[in-house]
Amino acid sequence: MKVADKMLVTVSPHLHKKDETIQRAMKDVLIALTPAAVWALVVFGFNVVYILAVSCITAALSEVVMRKIMRRKPTLTDYSAMVTAVLFAFLLPPTTPLWVVAIGAFLAVGIGKELFGGLGKNIFNPAIFARVLLWFSPLAVYTTKFVKPFFWKASGFFTPIATSINEGAVGRAVYKTMAGNPVADLTTAATPLSLLKSGKWLPDMVAGPTPVGATWLNSGGKPSFWSLFIGAKSGCIGEVCILALLIGAAYLLWRRTIDWRIPVGIIGTFFLLTLVTWYHPIYNLFSGGLFLGAFFMATDWVTSPVTRRGKWIFAVGIGATVFIMRFWSLRPEGVAIAIFLWNIGTLVIDRYIAVPKFGEVGAKAFNRLPVLPEPAPEPVKK
Amino acid sequence: MSGKATYKTFKGGIHPPYHKELASGKAIRPAPVPAEVFIPLQQHIGAPNEPLVNPGDRVELGQKIGSSEAFVSAPVHASVAGTVKEIAEVTGFTGAKVKCVVITPDAEQPGFARKDRDITALSDQEVRDIAREAGLVGMGGAAFPTHVKLTPPKDKPVDTVIINACECEPFLTCDHRVMLERPHDLVQGLKLLMRAVNAKRGIIGIEANKMDAVDAVRGAAKGEAGIEVDILEVKYPEGAEKMLIYALTGRKVPPGKLPSEVGCLVQNVGTAVALYEACAWGKPLYERVLTVTGQGIKEPANLLARVGTPISTLIEACGGFVGRPGKVIMGGPMTGWAQPDTSAPVVKGTSGIVVLTPDLVDVGTEEECVRCGKCVDVCPMFLLPNFIVQAVKKGQWDRAEMWGALDCFECGCCSFTCPAYIPHVDYVRKAKAEIAALKRR
Repeated sequence: MKVADKMLVTVSPHLHKKDETIQRAMKDVLIALTPAAVWALVVFGFNVVYILAVSCITAALSEVVMRKIMRRKPTLTDYSAMVTAVLFAFLLPPTTPLWVVAIGAFLAVGIGKELFGGLGKNIFNPAIFARVLLWFSPLAVYTTKFVKPFFWKASGFFTPIATSINEGAVGRAVYKTMAGNPVADLTTAATPLSLLKSGKWLPDMVAGPTPVGATWLNSGGKPSFWSLFIGAKSGCIGEVCILALLIGAAYLLWRRTIDWRIPVGIIGTFFLLTLVTWYHPIYNLFSGGLFLGAFFMATDWVTSPVTRRGKWIFAVGIGATVFIMRFWSLRPEGVAIAIFLWNIGTLVIDRYIAVPKFGEVGAKAFNRLPVLPEPAPEPVKK
Repeated sequence: MSGKATYKTFKGGIHPPYHKELASGKAIRPAPVPAEVFIPLQQHIGAPNEPLVNPGDRVELGQKIGSSEAFVSAPVHASVAGTVKEIAEVTGFTGAKVKCVVITPDAEQPGFARKDRDITALSDQEVRDIAREAGLVGMGGAAFPTHVKLTPPKDKPVDTVIINACECEPFLTCDHRVMLERPHDLVQGLKLLMRAVNAKRGIIGIEANKMDAVDAVRGAAKGEAGIEVDILEVKYPEGAEKMLIYALTGRKVPPGKLPSEVGCLVQNVGTAVALYEACAWGKPLYERVLTVTGQGIKEPANLLARVGTPISTLIEACGGFVGRPGKVIMGGPMTGWAQPDTSAPVVKGTSGIVVLTPDLVDVGTEEECVRCGKCVDVCPMFLLPNFIVQAVKKGQWDRAEMWGALDCFECGCCSFTCPAYIPHVDYVRKAKAEIAALKRR
């Protein structure tokens, strides 16, 4: 009656879905981000690679060191630090100085993720956390100045270029190579949304070459819808090409790694509000970080609600907040802030928004704690 | 060739690998008589039985050897003719010690002497009495005494009897084989169940991966008034009581309530056939059809095994293990119990023995929850398994109850789909025990 070897005894169930691991999900996200990265390389040159490399290396080091200090088991192999690093780099202008990238990547993984308790415990999407922190820091000047697309045609594809403070004019930036030589002819360019904010885009659209600085894909001197959609515009590394982001998003949806409700809710709400106010709906939709945020940032498992009902509230909330930020605030863009705020909202949504159980009638809208008798006091040891 | 046919189903659930082909083509054959049978005195949910025999006594096949005065209980019967060796504590399939009547079988075993009876004349009370005397329990795994289920509250009449023929658990094929080989007995059993609760409608719900069984049962049910055979989508847990009722009738059993609340009664295929045997032949429940299967078994089979047979006897009857067994599971792989060895005896609720090879055992290491919400998506009861786990880890029992710990029926969909390999079911069981203890105060 004895069995030769030990047999494994665990609780049921004894089957597990094949290939359903955290690692696989993270790899999926990395794969999905590849098209956008390739496009960024085309439009912003090799600078993108330098930034991605610094971001990834710093993120990995931050995770290893922080976990060592806090005596947690190493988790580098789950790729979550890499996902954060790439997403964070995607949120930066293509000429961000590498030391700023390093600081940001540490803020993302070392503070935003590990200090909150590691993957699963973080309140904020780490990449968004670092981006927002940089935004409101003295380093903001390095992360809010954009160059025009294809700027590398003047300076060389492989030449690293970094934003630098213009000593002559406060708040303005100049661009220098790594060696510290100013790059002539390279000046700050307006993003589609900052143009919109300054109210300039409409006249320019008729008369000027193009409001987005693109010189191709246009015909008759007018900016085309395609320059916004394909990504021949200035902006952050990962946000410019809507098409590349949609390809990646389609992959993630097909793999069921992200939930469709969140992007649909965000983009739908935002589009609806711009339609109602007639605030340049199409132009607004394809400008800025809406698609990157909706498909890759807000869908972060850890920092979005777990219930379907909660996801809808979260998504509609973000869409509305993005609209409010773009419409009323002084800043041209608000996707990162909106997600940051609703990351906090996630905690409230999950705790209080009730989900009716199967067969529950007269279900309540909000969760209320049931009252249980107090447990017996621990016996006092003498 | 139209696209995918859509069948009745519920919301949520999962699609595990089924591997039913291992044993679905094997006809039912009797299992060998072991050297000793260990018949647990309690094989049901409810009050324990007292032994009616003493060591040294001679027992006949089908003789009642344990019973209780309590209403919620089911007697047990000798599964062999032989001599009582002792009444001893034996490790059962859950790992807990259970009191067993140990019988040494005679070398020559008699066949069961049928006491045929006309079932058309039986009254509802007579059917219930026969069910109780025959020791019938739910044979899908829960082992709830059948006569109790057949006694619904007076104010909640049952109008629909459902036969759970989904067999949604992967690997298992015993119900499938019973439907193929004994469709007539199944339909007669259903008619007896309908009579016991005075229901006019009977539904046999079969998953779409058993179309041959659908044909067989439809053939047997032809001309029977009020009996329908319905096809259900292949999805786990289609055979969970509440899910099945919803899929077939659209009625939703409220949380914490029984199926009688919505006028339904659900019984397993094996139970219906056993009821027919008890009523028509006077045969008590001392043996059952079960599936011995898995990649770790040489010749997977569907066996008619006597209650009390140790697992090892059945595994030997199927040619033994292939290589080293990774996991031996009593019951289905989604809700069954992993065995530390092969000594535990088969009980009335044992639907199968599944042997997984080591490479199919996917345990993983439990990671921190990443709040992906996949468990929430698949939960057929619409609970929040991840938050139950969180609450249990912190000892917040009120929160565990708020998130639905008490409404969980432990199907295991959450753990199956969890990328962090969290054993939610384990945490839920702990929460249930703790909350029950608090509520008793």
